[in-house]
Amino acid sequence: MSTALTTTTAPETEPIHGSSLWNDAWFRLKKNHLALFGLGFFLFMICICVLGPFFTGYRYEDTDLPLKASPPLDKIISRVETLKNGDVKQKNLALSNIEDEFLELPRPERKALATKLANGEQYTSGDVRYELSKQRHFFGTDSLGRDLLTRVLIGGRISLAVGFAATLVSVVIGVIWGAAAGFIGGKLDNLMMRIVDILYALPFTVIVILLMVMFGRNFILLFVAIGAVEWLTMARIVRGQIISLKHQEFVDAAVSLGLSGPRILFRHLIPNVTSSIVVYATLTVPNVMLLEAVLSFLGLGVPPPMSSWGVLINEGASAIQTSPWLLWIPASFFSLTLFSLNFLGDGLRDALDPKSAKD
Amino acid sequence: MKPRASTGQGLRSRPRRRPGPRIRSGRVLECWSIGVLPSTEIGPRMLRRGLAIAFIAIACLFLSSTSALLAISRTLEEANRHKILLINEISEPQSLDPQIAQGQGEHEIVSALMDGLVENDEYDQSKVVPGLADRWDHNEDYSVWTFHIRENAKWSNGDPVTSQDFVDSYRRLLTASLGAVYSDALFIMKGAKDYYDQKLTDFNQVGVHAEDPQTLKIELIGPTPYFLSAILHTSWFPVHMPTILKFGRMDQRDTKWTTPGNYVGTGPFILKVWRQNDVIEVVRNPLYWDAANVKLNGINFYSIENSDTAERAFEAGQLHKTLDVPLDRIPYYRREHPERIRIDPYLADYFYRLNTNRKPLDNPKVRLALNLAVNREEIVTNITRAKQTPETGIVPPAMTGYEPLDIIHYDPERARQLLAEAGYPNGKDFPKFNILINTHEAHRVIAEAIQQMWKQELNIDVGIENQEWKVYLQSQNSMNYDMIRGGWIGDFMDPVTFLTIWTTGNGNNDTGWSNPTYDQLIDQAAHTGDPQKRFDILHDAERLFLGEPAVVCIYWYTRVYLLDPSVKNWYPLALDLHNFKYIDLETPEETAAPK
Repeated sequence: MSTALTTTTAPETEPIHGSSLWNDAWFRLKKNHLALFGLGFFLFMICICVLGPFFTGYRYEDTDLPLKASPPLDKIISRVETLKNGDVKQKNLALSNIEDEFLELPRPERKALATKLANGEQYTSGDVRYELSKQRHFFGTDSLGRDLLTRVLIGGRISLAVGFAATLVSVVIGVIWGAAAGFIGGKLDNLMMRIVDILYALPFTVIVILLMVMFGRNFILLFVAIGAVEWLTMARIVRGQIISLKHQEFVDAAVSLGLSGPRILFRHLIPNVTSSIVVYATLTVPNVMLLEAVLSFLGLGVPPPMSSWGVLINEGASAIQTSPWLLWIPASFFSLTLFSLNFLGDGLRDALDPKSAKD
Repeated sequence: MKPRASTGQGLRSRPRRRPGPRIRSGRVLECWSIGVLPSTEIGPRMLRRGLAIAFIAIACLFLSSTSALLAISRTLEEANRHKILLINEISEPQSLDPQIAQGQGEHEIVSALMDGLVENDEYDQSKVVPGLADRWDHNEDYSVWTFHIRENAKWSNGDPVTSQDFVDSYRRLLTASLGAVYSDALFIMKGAKDYYDQKLTDFNQVGVHAEDPQTLKIELIGPTPYFLSAILHTSWFPVHMPTILKFGRMDQRDTKWTTPGNYVGTGPFILKVWRQNDVIEVVRNPLYWDAANVKLNGINFYSIENSDTAERAFEAGQLHKTLDVPLDRIPYYRREHPERIRIDPYLADYFYRLNTNRKPLDNPKVRLALNLAVNREEIVTNITRAKQTPETGIVPPAMTGYEPLDIIHYDPERARQLLAEAGYPNGKDFPKFNILINTHEAHRVIAEAIQQMWKQELNIDVGIENQEWKVYLQSQNSMNYDMIRGGWIGDFMDPVTFLTIWTTGNGNNDTGWSNPTYDQLIDQAAHTGDPQKRFDILHDAERLFLGEPAVVCIYWYTRVYLLDPSVKNWYPLALDLHNFKYIDLETPEETAAPK
């Protein structure tokens, strides 16, 4: 592999450049198709979640109660009623529950009527006219008649945002805490790591519920709460790495050059543990998204009418018998994203592993 | 009179813990595999042999599950043959002591075990039929009642029921140290409150007297034309004092007297089995005064908390009746099995309480505007979908005899105008507040629909917050909310059961709403004997309340449950209080016979 590297990065006329850690990593990552696929899919998901809601034609909070829960691409029947005073009242009904409109008719007649309407025929009873509408909902609608596609995309924004923001919080706290503990060592290290142990021992949901009770329920808190719990492992990893690095020669060299402690830490030690940080952060994102889903599932997530994948899955789970698509669609989005992130994380771990750089 | 603590029980949150009567296929499989595959034979022999064993094991699994299926489909048939009614109760009862029992489910079980002076009518909740008393009379203004206890009324241990039993029971319930929630149900008796507050030490001065062993005289603080309906409540049932004293002090709770074998009652059934969190079985009481007319041989009350589980048990033929139906299954049953779903009018309201001490809800115009901007018709036809009716007043139409008010309508135009008058034209600067709901899918969906209606019609933003049932109750009682979901189930067939809760300082008001004129009207009604005049006064009070409502009216409940067609004489009742002696089951032979 090293021969291949030199041929690509060192043309004959120029002096030989060392290839940086990132170049090496990128090179190795490119060979891991699964990880590349993960990266591609993930970027695609970000794009459609950010841009998609502008093009679906519906807003995520707009309800259309008469439509109720309708399956993906269900035909929509519009019910037009001419009132006594000449006004016209229009309602959208889904073909799948159109029979509920005609409960007074006997069953075979109801079914026949539904087929007729589905074939585009009009049906008039009194002042009410039923006809097939052109409108469609690509992923169907939820029990309040809201467009599921828009809600899934908006929910994706929230879930991804929570994933990134909380990971950022956890990386910042975790790296500083772990590096400080590992570098300073001694009693302070002991104290700091015991604090981590104590926080580890507290059950996550209980902490979040406590935070919610104390500070009320809001969106920012969700980031902070999850980030505040997720940094513990990061701190441990960074501390271990720093301890093993700080006795190496380049640190001794830096010390003998008279560099200050923080400078050694930030210029020499932390760059050396970056690969571990990046890998662990990539694996934290799906973890955090999962936690957000758990919280939403418990009703502690984003407040309605906002949606997130966790909220949608929760809503879908309660209607699994009658409207399974409400569960399957958000659940597939969610699990595909988690898969892709996990593949990417695994790939990055292999790519950034300093040991694999030797071969 | 303070009604039952459970609010909106049809839709209330339930912890999901334990499935109900289980198909014990696990156990069946165990026996089979031991029988077919003695453990000594399974050794490291040939692979082929291992495969054979695996095959047999799988076959066993299939066999046992099919036999289990066969067994359950026969459960209902078997029960019908033995005339045992299998019904679901929402949760494990706290107590079967009629004076301590609190919830709706406990009330139902206790009414099978105990009998009051009068009993529930078979068809009509506004009527009563004779119970332990075979006749009664009252004075002109309904304030003094005399009950004549029937000669053949007996306790299930053979003791005769005397009027002294009632006096002793009421003394027990009015003992403050018993800590019963329903003590105040008796406060309509003369001197009862003073005795409870220990201002009165002589119980003889309380308005209940045993004139002779067969005659009970009750004096009330004012005219109470609805008294017969009120005494249907378990708090007015007699308890067997010698039994209670045998197992503990008079004011001791949860003693052994309520366990099977010890329980002494007066009702059509006696307690046979009580397995915690599983089932309560009652069987026919031969000493019940009307035993000849009791049709069932027994009732099993299962405690299945999850309505999905209950629905599955019903589908599998393990229950005659469920307590409710999961919201999203209602259209399915209405469409496909209309004969198995029952939708009855019910004496209950679904609404949001408003905290009138907080801005902006302290302004009556804002409260009215919020009411007028809710399209109730849309909610009942598209979300709840079980023939609920839009709540246009406070007293539900199921209250027969009392004309329901038709005041609160969907009128967005007027709502916007009112909001502008209150100083928030087009929702400008309207403070944001939350609707607080207890965690349950159905409540969330309704809240989201209303949130969107207010957004569209009034351009105001409200949030939704959910809390677990007990936390939510705490928030409601301590008024730590802006707007909170609530429900109210009537206790007896009289409008005051819906109107007294809004009087100043009532324990169930919880909104801070107070209007001296309203209090005065309610008080005036309590001292009016003429029924028509009384209703007129109550109508005035209701109109006054709805002019500056402390609630957002949403809908009037219906009772939705699954009922097997083999259950006979189960008529729709507005209070859902059924007299089990009338209920009958169709035997399999009758079902098979051509009609």
